[in-house]
Amino acid sequence: MTAGTNGAADGPAGAGAGQLILGIETSCDETACGVVEDGVNLRSSVVASQVDLHARFGGVVPEIASRAHLELVNPVIAQALVEAGLELSDLHAVAACSGPGLAGSLLVGVSAAKAVALCQGIPYVGVNHLEGHLYAAFLEEPDLEPPLCFLLVSGGHTMIVAMEGHGRYRVLGQTIDDAAGEAFDKVARHIGLGYPGGPEIDRLAALGDPDAIKFPRPMMDEGFDFSFSGLKTAVATYVKHSPDAEVTDVAAAFQEAVVDVCITKLLRGAAEVGAKTVVIGGGVAANSRLRTRLLDAAEADGRRAFLPSPSLCTDNGAMIAAAAWWRLRADGPTPLSGGAHPGLRLPTID
Amino acid sequence: MLLLCLDTATPQVGVAIGSDDQVIGRIQLARPQHHAEHLAPAIAYLLEQLDLSLDQLSAIGVGIGPGLFTGLRVGVTTAKVMAQALRIPLIAVPSLDLLAFEVRYSDRLVVPALDARRGEVFYATYRQVPGGVQRLSEYEVGTPADLCAELMSRSEEVLLLGDGALRYREQFYDLERAEFGPPGLSYPSVAALVELARAKFQREDFAQPRDVHPLYLRLSDAEMNWVKQAR
Ligand SMILES: [Zn+2]
Repeated sequence: MTAGTNGAADGPAGAGAGQLILGIETSCDETACGVVEDGVNLRSSVVASQVDLHARFGGVVPEIASRAHLELVNPVIAQALVEAGLELSDLHAVAACSGPGLAGSLLVGVSAAKAVALCQGIPYVGVNHLEGHLYAAFLEEPDLEPPLCFLLVSGGHTMIVAMEGHGRYRVLGQTIDDAAGEAFDKVARHIGLGYPGGPEIDRLAALGDPDAIKFPRPMMDEGFDFSFSGLKTAVATYVKHSPDAEVTDVAAAFQEAVVDVCITKLLRGAAEVGAKTVVIGGGVAANSRLRTRLLDAAEADGRRAFLPSPSLCTDNGAMIAAAAWWRLRADGPTPLSGGAHPGLRLPTID
Repeated sequence: MLLLCLDTATPQVGVAIGSDDQVIGRIQLARPQHHAEHLAPAIAYLLEQLDLSLDQLSAIGVGIGPGLFTGLRVGVTTAKVMAQALRIPLIAVPSLDLLAFEVRYSDRLVVPALDARRGEVFYATYRQVPGGVQRLSEYEVGTPADLCAELMSRSEEVLLLGDGALRYREQFYDLERAEFGPPGLSYPSVAALVELARAKFQREDFAQPRDVHPLYLRLSDAEMNWVKQAR
């Protein structure tokens, strides 16, 4: 792709091309910005991770996250434009994640997006973070046809969502206590690993035996809701009573329990809504065991599993831009008086 | 020359547009919280009423606190991203300076104090000089008692103002010869921001967006606990 020109309408990035939306994501500990054309063509995605800033605290510290977003948001926007070969004047709309997430963090992205909207005279769109995760899949597979069944798993959320059409969702189930990502972090702490726990457990588990220990699969046999608190406690108790257990085996057995539950519920959801394709999203969707097991399990179930690249499963700005394209078509722009909504829920048709 | 000026360091949302010689429009909303819901519409409204467009702006002035972190970041983020988008200079002005400048005709020791919550205030001390005020201290955060003790030791006539001074008014009653600013001067004045930003503009005292940081004066709780445990 050639470099963008100064808002020229005849350039590759101009009016001849599709609708270009810049998306900003600052709901948690990633400062991210991406540009997407027509809701599906990924033009750029830049993510500045703050994980090192939070690591010593063993979790995301909201005030530290907000301060870092403020420092990073300008360069991340600039870099996303450079990588897309665009100028701000080429954009047709600008979006920010407006919730759910950390209030102070969300406000940085929302303020930044509205500043761009004011300066360029283009629409602003406030995007639901969860809807962003759903639309990340379309960046690599634009032809995905609803009904689809999604597993959203991260540090903040664990849910099964049926997409019956664009903008039409049903939340089949969600966690009643910890999110899957939280369970990974807490178990990692119990077995002496660093933060964040997900990648560490993934790496160690590959060296262990998933069948060495039989951990419980909470609520696996019924419904769509999740509970990981009991599993976390079971791992902690086991480690306490078996101090000589191989850490690799504990990691593998714990991970296997999470993966079993997630896959079982996802495929159960797909059967419930008649979805031929299942999709995953969220930080835990980057877990290598979940990905390989899901491919096999879906095939055995006569369905297709679509696994977005790990970089699109974790929080990013491109997913916000992708979801914004659909929201803009459905609802029009968000007023500049739109705020941040830390407890925002996925809009459902229930 | 046209300046857009923003300050959201306190419960107030303030927006003003200034020309070479005056403040040509301003909005000051003293409603607490939800800065992000008011700031962008206020900017759009002012521009529309004054029949101006953003590409006519020469620079953006912003109050960088100290103040309440979440609101403060709304204004600073907005100013930084607007400056980047419009490719115009940014001018950073500490928000306590704006309070002091409003009472520059007083020959007392001027002490703006903004409510920092948690029983503390953000403050600094200033003295009248020709054309404005000069800051004599660092920007500080502390309890009203800390500030009161500091002022007692100076045994000067003081003028206290700002929402912090008013909230903890009775804690300063031991100060002899203390005077309090009116409630109308509780929050940083965006008119003062226009004046101070214009002076900086004329000196070409500009900042790049990446070099503009809020004056937090306080670590996050997690960092404070970390420091305490390390001791
Ligand atoms: Zn997420």
